[in-house]
Amino acid sequence: MRFLRQHRGLVPYLLLAPGILWLLLFYVAPGIVMLGSSFWEGSLERGYAFSLENYTNYTNALSRFQPHFVRSIEYAGIATLLTLLIAYPLAYGIAFRGGRFKNLLLFMVIAPFFTSFLLRTISWQIILGDQGIVLGPIKEAGLLDNNFAIISTPFAVIAGITYNFLPFMTLPIYVSLEKIDIRLIEAAQDLYASRSNAFRRITLPLSLPGVFAGSLLTFIPAMGDFVNAELLGNPQTTMIGNVIQNQFLTQNNYPTASAISFLLMAGILIAVAVYARLLGTEELTSGGV
Amino acid sequence: MSDQEPLQQPIPRRQFLAGASLAGFAAFLAACGTQGTQSQPPTAGPPATSGPPATTGPTAAPTPPPSPSAELNFANWTFYLDPDPEDETKFTTLEDFRAEFGTQVNYQEVIDDNDSFMGTIQPQLQAGQDTGWDIIVVTDWMAARIIRLGWAEQMDLGNMPNVTANLQDAYKGVSWDSTDDHHVPWQSGMTGLGFDRESTGDLTSVRELFDLKYRGQIDYLTEMRDTIGLTMLHLGADPAAATRADCDAAIAEITRVQNEGMNANFRGNAYARDLTRGDVVLSMAWSGDMVAALPDNPNLGFAVPSEGGMLWTDNCIIPKGAQNKYTAELMIDYVYRPEVAARIAAYVNYITPVKGAAEILIASDPEMANNPLIFPPEDVLARLHIFVGLSEDDEAYFDEQFATVLGL
Repeated sequence: MRFLRQHRGLVPYLLLAPGILWLLLFYVAPGIVMLGSSFWEGSLERGYAFSLENYTNYTNALSRFQPHFVRSIEYAGIATLLTLLIAYPLAYGIAFRGGRFKNLLLFMVIAPFFTSFLLRTISWQIILGDQGIVLGPIKEAGLLDNNFAIISTPFAVIAGITYNFLPFMTLPIYVSLEKIDIRLIEAAQDLYASRSNAFRRITLPLSLPGVFAGSLLTFIPAMGDFVNAELLGNPQTTMIGNVIQNQFLTQNNYPTASAISFLLMAGILIAVAVYARLLGTEELTSGGV
Repeated sequence: MSDQEPLQQPIPRRQFLAGASLAGFAAFLAACGTQGTQSQPPTAGPPATSGPPATTGPTAAPTPPPSPSAELNFANWTFYLDPDPEDETKFTTLEDFRAEFGTQVNYQEVIDDNDSFMGTIQPQLQAGQDTGWDIIVVTDWMAARIIRLGWAEQMDLGNMPNVTANLQDAYKGVSWDSTDDHHVPWQSGMTGLGFDRESTGDLTSVRELFDLKYRGQIDYLTEMRDTIGLTMLHLGADPAAATRADCDAAIAEITRVQNEGMNANFRGNAYARDLTRGDVVLSMAWSGDMVAALPDNPNLGFAVPSEGGMLWTDNCIIPKGAQNKYTAELMIDYVYRPEVAARIAAYVNYITPVKGAAEILIASDPEMANNPLIFPPEDVLARLHIFVGLSEDDEAYFDEQFATVLGL
């Protein structure tokens, strides 16, 4: 104790230490190892050699897998937009109209988490299967062509991502809406703002930190997701996460896999930086979640 | 420190005595054992040799034999072991094994295809850690890779008298396991056409797999050798002598039909589920599965195409660092008892590598002799091809090309 009293300056660092150690051990260290292996050349059986000249791993990966990068941005972007469009009214409803059911409604938003993410995705596969409980009877009745499919289409992949990440968007938006002082909105209306004007000029700006956090929580994992594309997609809908998984685990091509992972990370960092600049980070983090 | 010295002395002697008496017991057991296809209890037999240990007199065992462990972790494919007719969640073979050895087998049907399963244990193997599995079952090319990388435990054939006595000669002396003690064959099988008779009728040609009338209702396999192999047969090339040019041609053919709207899914074991559910009506399929899935969909059929099919063997491997190696050896040896092998074969409908199992099967049910999946007739055998053993470079090339049709 006396030591701490004498070195007050150290206290914040000591309090931060567990978090910093955690990040060093489980984020920075593997990151450095992976950065190293992205400059490797060779194979699992012959062994690998490091050389800076293998930066070609990056250029080759970028040109070979460009369609997958583009597709991932597309799918993750559309899914993020869809979750926002669904989650905002949902969170708004719970925050301002939930009344005594607020807690129950919030519980229902996170209830799906009590079942494994994989199981829920596989359930969609079964429910929406070509002859499943939804399409089967419709096709039987002759209302749909027998070849009509939902599973194995881009629609299924995007819908799967949207469904799986919805709570990540809903909760942050709910928190920022919940914090809004209702008197501000009343004041706006007292000053002759219409309902939509009050929403546009008071509610929406004040809830932006939630929107920002929610879209990051959705977009970033969705970019790297491979489960939805694997289970609900087809060979034309593979995302960059599937490529990384295949390169790492099937082809044992660690250098290329590492290079793609770093490209993905860089891409996401740039996208987030642009997004933060557009929304104005300073205000967001100060009023953040 | 020094006062511990005298205490340490008697222990090795006691161990020696225990070892000697056990060796005597082993000699007794060995003398009681019979040759050939009879079941034999595992004994602390002679050092690993290729002959049946029951016939050679055992020498003193260097260490006392370990006792079977309380549990054993066994990873396998679906439809690959006989379920208990009374309780679908249990397996007769494993129940019997537990009754005899007291080992609870944690049997998991987690292998969907070789690559994806290997992906789950490769990091541990590479780091020299225990994978959590004591027995895994992988196809011969993957077994070859695992052995080449030094990731398979050498089995002590002295603990496996039934394996040494009852393994069919045809399976011995493979090029990728020079000492024949890093793998033990589990079952062999064929890759051909699996179809829903009601929708497709009986199919006989590999051409069907490339007929656009099945668009959106067809599965190919994620096993590169099966999918590429059948495509080569469709193109008139021989998968047993496949070259990079053959590979390119096969890839081009798959790409062509996909571009023309075939929309085939690539599946591991899950193809069987797609077929039984009716999501697809035609698939590349593994021979025994269609019979095992019959209770769920009585319309399923299997055929080795007239142009030919693929022949492969799945093998038991004890991954490096396995916790219960001795018990794993007992388990593998147990399924090499002809009567156990016969019961498994009758359920799984694959070709059993165990000598004597065929006789028991036919004696119990003469109809079995006509089962073309367990006993493929000569004309079918003549049409089967074993995929060429690829060099590391060629394997990387084939894998990379195949990844492009998977959209990766």
